[in-house]
Amino acid sequence: MHPVLIGQLTVDGLLLGGIYALSALGLNVIFGVMRIVNLAHGEFVIGAALFAAVLFERWHINPFIVLPFAFAAAFGGGALIQRFLLRRLPEDLAAAETTSLLLTFGISYFLVGAGLAIFSGNFRSVPFLTGAWALGAISIAQTRFVAFVTSSILALLLALLLRYTALGRSLRATSQSIEGALACGVDVERVRTFAFALGTGIAAASGCLLSLIFTVNPETGANVTLASFAVIALGGLGDYVGTLVGAAIIGLAISFTGYYASAQVAQAAPYVLFILVLLLRPSGLLGRRAA
Amino acid sequence: MKRATVAGFVLVVAALALIPPFASGYVRSLLYITVLDVALAYAWNVISGYAGYLSFGQVTFFGLGAYTTALVVIHGHVAWWEGALLGGALSALLAVPLGYLMLRLRGAYFALGMLGLAQTFQVIANASGFSGGGSGLFLPPGSNTLAVYYWTLAIAVLTFVATVFIDRSAFGLRLQALREDEQVASTLGVDVTTAKVMAFVISAIVPGLLGGGYAWYLTYIEPVSAFATRFDLQAVAMTILGGIGTVWGPLIGGVLMSQVSETLAAQFPQTYLMIFGGLVVVLLLFLPRGIVPAVSAALARRRARA
Amino acid sequence: MTPALLEIDNVTRVFGGVRALDGVSLQVRDGEIVSIIGPNGAGKTTLFNIISGVLRPTSGDVRFQGRSIVGWTPQRIAGAGIGRTYQIARPFGRLSVLDNVAVGALTHARTLHAARVAAEEVLSVVNLLPLADRSASSLTLTQRKRLEVARALALRPKLLLLDEVMAGLTPTEIDAMAGFVEHLHERGIAAIGGVEHVMRVVMRISHRIVVLDFGKKIADGTPAEIVADPRVNEAYFGTPIDEVSAS
Repeated sequence: MHPVLIGQLTVDGLLLGGIYALSALGLNVIFGVMRIVNLAHGEFVIGAALFAAVLFERWHINPFIVLPFAFAAAFGGGALIQRFLLRRLPEDLAAAETTSLLLTFGISYFLVGAGLAIFSGNFRSVPFLTGAWALGAISIAQTRFVAFVTSSILALLLALLLRYTALGRSLRATSQSIEGALACGVDVERVRTFAFALGTGIAAASGCLLSLIFTVNPETGANVTLASFAVIALGGLGDYVGTLVGAAIIGLAISFTGYYASAQVAQAAPYVLFILVLLLRPSGLLGRRAA
Repeated sequence: MKRATVAGFVLVVAALALIPPFASGYVRSLLYITVLDVALAYAWNVISGYAGYLSFGQVTFFGLGAYTTALVVIHGHVAWWEGALLGGALSALLAVPLGYLMLRLRGAYFALGMLGLAQTFQVIANASGFSGGGSGLFLPPGSNTLAVYYWTLAIAVLTFVATVFIDRSAFGLRLQALREDEQVASTLGVDVTTAKVMAFVISAIVPGLLGGGYAWYLTYIEPVSAFATRFDLQAVAMTILGGIGTVWGPLIGGVLMSQVSETLAAQFPQTYLMIFGGLVVVLLLFLPRGIVPAVSAALARRRARA
Repeated sequence: MTPALLEIDNVTRVFGGVRALDGVSLQVRDGEIVSIIGPNGAGKTTLFNIISGVLRPTSGDVRFQGRSIVGWTPQRIAGAGIGRTYQIARPFGRLSVLDNVAVGALTHARTLHAARVAAEEVLSVVNLLPLADRSASSLTLTQRKRLEVARALALRPKLLLLDEVMAGLTPTEIDAMAGFVEHLHERGIAAIGGVEHVMRVVMRISHRIVVLDFGKKIADGTPAEIVADPRVNEAYFGTPIDEVSAS
C-alpha cells in the first residue's frame, strides 16, 4: 500500500469525480424538478462525447470548443423533447413516474441504436492534452485536471444560476412544491421545459469532458446513467452539495477498483455503492415522492 | 373465461406444438424465439404490470439460469433440463432475499437497481474464469433444439395460466392495489411486502428456467448474449403494446411483434433498437395502456350502445 | 370501568425540529364518536398516521383493545380493526369501485368472490352500488369521499379514523355524512373524526371533542364543555360563545 500509489489513485479519483458530478448535477435538476427519471441520461452524455470525438478526429476541434455548442444543441433538443414528448405525460404523478421510466427506457434504446448507426460500435475518445504535470511523485494528467476545472466552473455557474436568478429560484420552488410555485405565479410549464433543457445541456457538456478521459461507444451509456444515479443516491436528491460529495466517492471507487481489480469491475463499483447506500440509508436517500 | 376462448387457446397451443417437427429450420427458430419472448413478457408482466414495480433487469435471472445449466451440464454431467430446473430454483432462491431488499426501493430506484444488477452479473460472468470469462462456455454437442422448444412452450403455457389465476385471485387484487397506492393498500390490510416478493419470485423463476433451455439450444453461452438487453427490451415492448397488467396483453403484443422484431434484430440491429425504442415511446404517448384495454373499451362502448 | 377501545398515551412526534404532536393523550371508548378539531397543521393527520401505523411516535404509546400497537405494520393494524380514510381521497384509480372496496374485505373474506360480495353490501350502505363497475378514477369528489369511507368500512373495523371526511361537501351531503357517522355508533363502531370546520355538525353528533393546537391537546370534553372552555375560545374559535352555541 504505497502512499504514493494511494495518493495517485486518490487524485485520479477526485478528478474523475468532478466530471461525474457535473453529469449528476444535470440529472439532479431534471429529477428534482420534474420527478422524471431520465434513463436515457447516459445516452445524452455519451452522444455528446462521441460527437466531440468525431469532431476531433475529423477536424481537430478540441472538446472545450465543442462544449458550448454541444450544450446549446442539447439545451434546444431537450426543450423540444419536453415540449412535444414529455408534456404528454399524465397528470397523476404515480402513473407519470412509471410512464417516464418506460418512456426514457424507450428513448435510451432509440439513442443507442441511432448512436450505433451514426458512430458505429467503435470505441472512441479524444486524445487531447496528453501530457501530465508532476506534483511531487504524483502525476496529474493534464486532461483530467483541465476537465475537472471546467466541470467545477460549470457547476459553480449552475449554483449561481439557481441561487441568484429569478429562473433559478423558480426552478427550486417548483422542485419543492408544484402547488406552491403555481401559487407564487411561477409558470410551471416553462420551468419544467427549462429544467429539462438545462439538465440535458449539462449532460452534453459533461459528455464533452468525459470524451477526454474515457473511451466510449454507443453502448456505454448505461454505465454513465448508473454512475450518475449512484452519485445522486449517495449525495441525496436535490442536494447539490451532496452531489459533489457523492461524485467524489464514486470517482474514488472507480479509481481504486480500476487499479486493484480491473477496468471492467470498476464499472460495477458505482452500482454496488448505489445499492448499498439505498439499502442501508433509505430515509433521506431514497428520493421524495412528490408532495 | 368463455369456453370459446379456452378452446381457441388450446388450438393455438396445439398448433404451436405440432408445427415444428414438420417445419423448416427458420420457422422453428422463429417459433422458438417468439414463444421464449412471450413467456418472458408474461413473467415481466407479473412484477411490472400487476405489482407495478418496473424492472429493467429480469435478464439477470435468465443469464443466471443459462450459466447454471451450462456449468452443471459441463461439470456435473446431468441432463440439460435438470440444469434448467436448477437454474430456476437458484433464481427463485436468489429472488427471495433480493426481493426483500430491492422492493424497498421506490419505482425509479428499483428499476435502476435491477438494471445495474443485470450489468453487474454480466461483469461477473465476464471477469470470472469459472464462467469462462469473455469467451464463454461451450456445452457438449448433441443438443436437441426441439426438446428445448417444447420445454419453452410448456413454461410459456404455465406462465400464461398462472397469469390468469393471478388476474382472478385475491393475490392479484392485492398486487394491483399495492401498485395503485402501496401505503393505502397496507392500511387496508394488504401484506404488501409478502405480496410483492411473491410476484418478484414468480418473475424470476420463469426467466431462470427459460435461460437454462436457451443455453442448451445454443450449446454456447457468453456474457453478452446471456445477459443481452434485447430480452428485457422485447418483454417490455411486447407487454406495453399488448397491454401491461392484462392477461392477454403479452400474448397479443408478442404475436404482433415477433416476426418483425426477429428479422429486424438479425439483419439491422441498429435499426431494430431504434424502431423498438421508438415504438415504446410512441405507444406510451398514444396508447399507454396497450391494445387489449383499448379494444375492450371499444367493445364495451359498442355493447352499451346496442 | 371497561378499558378504552383506543388509548393514546402521551404521544409525541417530532419531524426535524417541529413537534407535530406534543404529549397528546386521549381515549376512545367502544362506539364513541370523538371529533378532533384544530386548524390545519395542528397534528390531526399525524395522529391518524400514527394510529394506523404509517408513522411511529417519537415517544409515547398507542394501545388498541389493551394491546400496544406501536411498531405494528399498517396491515396488521387494519386487520385488528382500525380503518382509516385519507384527507385527500386516494382511490385505486385503475381498479373498479367494487374492487376498491373488495381489497379491505379480503381481511375477512377467503376468496376474491366472497370479498366482492361483501364489498357490494358495503357499497349499498354508502349508496355507491350503482357505480360498482366504474373505474374509481371516474368518480366525482363527493363520490370519492364516500368510496374512502366504504373502503375502510370493508375492514369491518371497530374504529374508524375519518380524516376531514366532510371537507368539500355541500350542506346536504354534510348532513348525509353526519347521519352516516351517527349510524356507525348504532352499529357499535367507534369513530374519530379529524375536522377543521363544519362546527355545527360536529357539535351535534360528537360524544366528545378534543381540541388540538400546535400539536398539544388543549381541551377534551363534551361539546357543551368545549364551547364553554375559555382556552378553546381564545385559541381556536375567536368568536363569542353565544354565536357558536346558537348555530
